[in-house]
Amino acid sequence: MIQIAMPVVLAMLAIAFTTAIQRIARTDATWPRRAPFLGGGLPETHAWQRFHVRYYPMALLFIAFEMEMMFMYPWAVVYVETGVKALAEMGMFLGILSIGILYGWREGVFRWQ
Amino acid sequence: MSWLSTLAHDAEIAVFAAVGQHGLGLTETLGRQRGVRLVSSPRHARVLLVAGEVESAQARALERLHAQIPPPRGTVWWQAPRLFERGETVIGDDPGEAIRRAAGADDPEQRPDVPPHPWRGMGPHGQGGHGMMGGNPYGRPMAMTADDIRDGLTLDAYSARFGPFLPALPPGLVLDLTMQGDVIVSAAAASPPYPQGPEGDAPTLCAARMLRLMGIGPRAAHARGALMALPKGSGMRRRLAAWLRGETVTESPAPPPNALPGREWAEAVLWLASFPPSRLRAVCPEEAA
Amino acid sequence: MIAATFALLLSLPLLVWVAAMFDRIGAGRGRVVMAPLQNGAALLLRPNTETEAPDQLNRLLAPGWYLALALVGLSVVPFAPGVVASDIATGLVLWGACEALTVVVVFLHGWSPNSPLPLIGAYRYVAIGLPAMLLSMFVLIGAALPAQSLSVAEVVEAQRDLWNVVRQPLGLPLFMALGLAITLRGPFDFAEGAELAGGASAEESGPALAAWRFARAAMLVAFSAMAATAFLGGYLGPVLPGPAWLLLKTLAVMAAAVAAGRFFARMPPARMLTFLWVVLLPLSFANLALVGVEALP
Repeated sequence: MIQIAMPVVLAMLAIAFTTAIQRIARTDATWPRRAPFLGGGLPETHAWQRFHVRYYPMALLFIAFEMEMMFMYPWAVVYVETGVKALAEMGMFLGILSIGILYGWREGVFRWQ
Repeated sequence: MSWLSTLAHDAEIAVFAAVGQHGLGLTETLGRQRGVRLVSSPRHARVLLVAGEVESAQARALERLHAQIPPPRGTVWWQAPRLFERGETVIGDDPGEAIRRAAGADDPEQRPDVPPHPWRGMGPHGQGGHGMMGGNPYGRPMAMTADDIRDGLTLDAYSARFGPFLPALPPGLVLDLTMQGDVIVSAAAASPPYPQGPEGDAPTLCAARMLRLMGIGPRAAHARGALMALPKGSGMRRRLAAWLRGETVTESPAPPPNALPGREWAEAVLWLASFPPSRLRAVCPEEAA
Repeated sequence: MIAATFALLLSLPLLVWVAAMFDRIGAGRGRVVMAPLQNGAALLLRPNTETEAPDQLNRLLAPGWYLALALVGLSVVPFAPGVVASDIATGLVLWGACEALTVVVVFLHGWSPNSPLPLIGAYRYVAIGLPAMLLSMFVLIGAALPAQSLSVAEVVEAQRDLWNVVRQPLGLPLFMALGLAITLRGPFDFAEGAELAGGASAEESGPALAAWRFARAAMLVAFSAMAATAFLGGYLGPVLPGPAWLLLKTLAVMAAAVAAGRFFARMPPARMLTFLWVVLLPLSFANLALVGVEALP
């Protein structure tokens, strides 16, 4: 139990520390001071927006690899005792995903859309 | 907190440099100044240093910048006429003493304390507008959808005026940009870069400015790896390589309003930095915004 | 375990100070020893900045989460046989979670001030942070194969005969790429690069900025300790006691990370994205395959 508690305690310590530090100073502001920094210029609108993310196909490909990561954790533990079979299995898995990378590359997935 | 003040007493003074006419060469000498550190945002600064003359047309931009430095703040006018009645003027080559004095100053703000648009008490809940996206919540409207030039998805377009003192852009250049994400959809140059004289086009300084945008110092460029990091086909590699060899670049860019749309922010900034300031100035229209 | 935690909490501020010194040496600035403390103190005496309608809570908490991830990541590193703050059997998984959440925290830091330059920094950092994290996990799985365990202590013990840096020569250089990405440094600093004038931190001032920079340096310490443990044998070494070896190796990795951050130029993000997926990621597959063949009995 205490093994799991320790990271939680550390995280709480870190939050408390940085929050306390940020409370040292006052935070008061006038409107000109609050304006976003653009080197002297001003924006027409707020910055928050339906942001045009340019890498969404990459994000989809990422999910495929992220799922694969989940299988790799247990695989790493049993790898040596399972032997060549484990190597072949993961080799096939990674091989198929690598073809995915090549296909994605050809389709321009890694460019800004 | 007296021990904290004692410790902070010998700290470096964080300076934001607003570079004016013939100010680029001046600013480069600041790196050798002990006890002074140039920062890239006024929020990180204690002192606003105006290096070189700034036209009175851009006094308001300078006042905005001044207001964005958290108080207490100081101002130094280095080889520049004063545009507002704060801070000290330095005529010589060494602003060190004036910067140290400005680090003890407490200038009041130059701009009136009003929101960009009135919003308090407007709308049914006092939120500044009607409906989900209307009105001016917190003094500004929300971004609205517009057509995109790349993938055609209709998402929000963000329009703003960048410059004249954004450290990533050539000093004096004012760009009215509309962006979707970090891709520039349309651009207009409201004001050309400041004249910098021959020292502004010096190969070592031009190369150093470009390399700084890529996050490395001039020494690392001997590995030439910096050239590999630049995208192919836009001449940026060629021009940086020439500067690294010590040659002057005489290419003229296409006017920014034609060349910038379709570029990503990082690429656009590097592209602008890959031309000598005088050439960039020559292709930007002189008319006032 | 409690003793290890106290040792961790005491040594982290000192190592953060050392990291700041390394940064000054890298930038070629003088007054290496005292200036980080003095500049930090000066920042603490400045006011915070409020922007137009910021996300107050996320803005306040982002530096805290960043520091928390650094601390938790560091806590799985054993200082000596059996001496570790978070003694869990799946330490590598916990470290991987800290890496992944760093992307979220940096995003929140850039998103919360409601300002364009930090916002752009936040979004493009996500694009680079995701594949960089993927890369590091393939490499760390490689380090776990010979140990037959996800416990960091086992990974160290498996290096008694031969350090992983020799057995898996591709591992450490690839892992360094992740280190640069999660500490927002040099070629992977897409959140706070110079072309965005400070990017995600452009609107921060005073103590908030100090806290963020402290957390960023703490993340460098955590990464360096993890790299030293997974690839350089951690506390293993002759003559000197274990913690001393770990400290020396951590400092060496830290210096290498600072130097790499100053040496390699930053590409535009789309170019870096292609480079990560098409060059570095396949290299990490190759690394895993080599490690796999080597680890077979």
